[in-house]
Amino acid sequence: MIVLDGVSFRYGEDGPDVLRGVDLRLREGEYVALAGHNGCGKSTLLKHLNALLVPTEGTVTVDGLDTRDSSLQRGIRRAVGMVFQNPDHQIVGMTVEEDVAFGPGNLALPPREVRECVREALARVGLEGYESRAPHTLSGGEKRLVSIAGVLAMKPRFIALDEPTAYLDPVSRRRVLDLIVGLHRQGMGILHVTHSIGNIVDADRLVVMERGSIALDDRPEAACAALASGRFPGLEAPPVATLMAELKSLGWGVNPNVLSIREACREIDACLARRPGERP
Amino acid sequence: MKPFRFGLFVPGESPLHRLDPRVKILSVVVLGVLTFQASAEAAILITLLLAGLTGLSRLRPRHLLDALRPLMVFAALLFLIHLFFTDGEAPVSLSAGPFRITREGLRQGGIVVWQFFALVSMGVLLTMTTGPSDLVAALEKILSPLKILRVPTQDLAVMVSLALRFLPTFLEEMEKLKTARLARGADWRRGGAVHRVKTAASLVVPLLLGAARRADDLAEAMEARGYARGPRTGLRELRMAGSDYAALAFVAGFSGLVLVSGLL
Ligand SMILES: Nc1ncnc2c1ncn2[C@@H]1O[C@H](COP(=O)(O)OP(=O)(O)O)[C@@H](O)[C@H]1O
Ligand SMILES: [Mg+2]
Repeated sequence: MIVLDGVSFRYGEDGPDVLRGVDLRLREGEYVALAGHNGCGKSTLLKHLNALLVPTEGTVTVDGLDTRDSSLQRGIRRAVGMVFQNPDHQIVGMTVEEDVAFGPGNLALPPREVRECVREALARVGLEGYESRAPHTLSGGEKRLVSIAGVLAMKPRFIALDEPTAYLDPVSRRRVLDLIVGLHRQGMGILHVTHSIGNIVDADRLVVMERGSIALDDRPEAACAALASGRFPGLEAPPVATLMAELKSLGWGVNPNVLSIREACREIDACLARRPGERP
Repeated sequence: MKPFRFGLFVPGESPLHRLDPRVKILSVVVLGVLTFQASAEAAILITLLLAGLTGLSRLRPRHLLDALRPLMVFAALLFLIHLFFTDGEAPVSLSAGPFRITREGLRQGGIVVWQFFALVSMGVLLTMTTGPSDLVAALEKILSPLKILRVPTQDLAVMVSLALRFLPTFLEEMEKLKTARLARGADWRRGGAVHRVKTAASLVVPLLLGAARRADDLAEAMEARGYARGPRTGLRELRMAGSDYAALAFVAGFSGLVLVSGLL
């Protein structure tokens, strides 16, 4: 389990507080989505999970290990994989396989095991056959998958992804989202930073940040209902949630806490059944 | 990005491809040194060897020629310099102005151009039959004795591969910036010196800023993936096979032959 306890953080001595008193828990195998406006501190928070940044105040522990203890950082980084915002700035290999091998190589595994890790990671993201491709010949979506494979090759138990679907075409976006859901099903703990809340219907929780602190932490249905009610201007709820909130405000007796179209239809249908005269 | 096809790795299964990259690098160094000592007989031997190796590499000769073609102008220049500026006796009284074509100049020019193409061919044969990662791994192994002098050979190898990784990206970015500037009406072929420097700076500054930002991100990403001082491994382990020892023995024998042919 990853536990953030009263975490505050400043870049530099007299900078402003980028994080203020953040309390957050990511349990084993849990899928948490994190949303918030640009500059609210999402990336900064993410970098605290694997000791790239350590809190100015408060503590971060991974399975009870304090990230501030530099002798523990190696193990912490092995447990918590990090996929950064820009894949162009994290692919270090001259070829795809060389890049995916970077992490296992840093763990000084024997070459045979390194190759096995690489093969497995590429299969998991569906990039078999890309082994000797040069990074600059890949599409944006493929680069993103390579950067995820590079992290998976180290066999982490948690993975933090910073806007993994930004700038992707719809097909690649779907591919990345399906991959994340698949990892979750296999028991990986996931923290997924995203701009479009429509991405996270499969998450266990949605956390919303505002100016360095956590403003909302709830099940996705309830959190989206809160967004749809307009509590966080600028953060758009998924269309289904907005529709249900709108119906409710028009006096319909629907439960606004639904995210899927199927569930929404059922709610509306039940509501109509209670008012037989108006049914078409 | 056409110009960068030069000497690029062509994957394959030829005997030359399969040779240990350390053996290949070592052979290029030895043969390169021989090229500078070569007598006429040795030059013929080396040329024949290169032709044989080209056949053995199963590279299409056209690919090799494509790699050499951009260097023709440079070779021609080398030839002319030696032709005109070597002292000696003129075969024909053709002394036009300060330039004099001499018999020695002709000979010297020929030798220099041959040396040039022989060296480049060796390099191109090496890089076209050896993957860049193998090349870097081999360099690291060859330099590893320097560890005693506290030279961080492992970090050096990582740096070289990073440079090779980002070269194409850098060129692409430069191209993009240039196009963007042109679209906005910048033109560095016109205007005074100040104007030209300004336009060039408008290209270089964002490139450097971009590179610096990337370097920061990159360092962070490498740290996150466990990069640190200490032992590292990779995909492959370099291991010498019988054929590698045979190749070394052959290069040693060939060198002996060339040296002897020089003494005769
Ligand atoms: N390396 C840094 N040095 C100084 N300030 C930074 C640095 N990185 C981010 N910041 C600042 O911290 C704040 C939060 O940034 P960030 O965590 O990147 O937000 P988000 O990912 O939510 O967009 C921003 O105001 C940003 O300008
Ligand atoms: Mg960010």
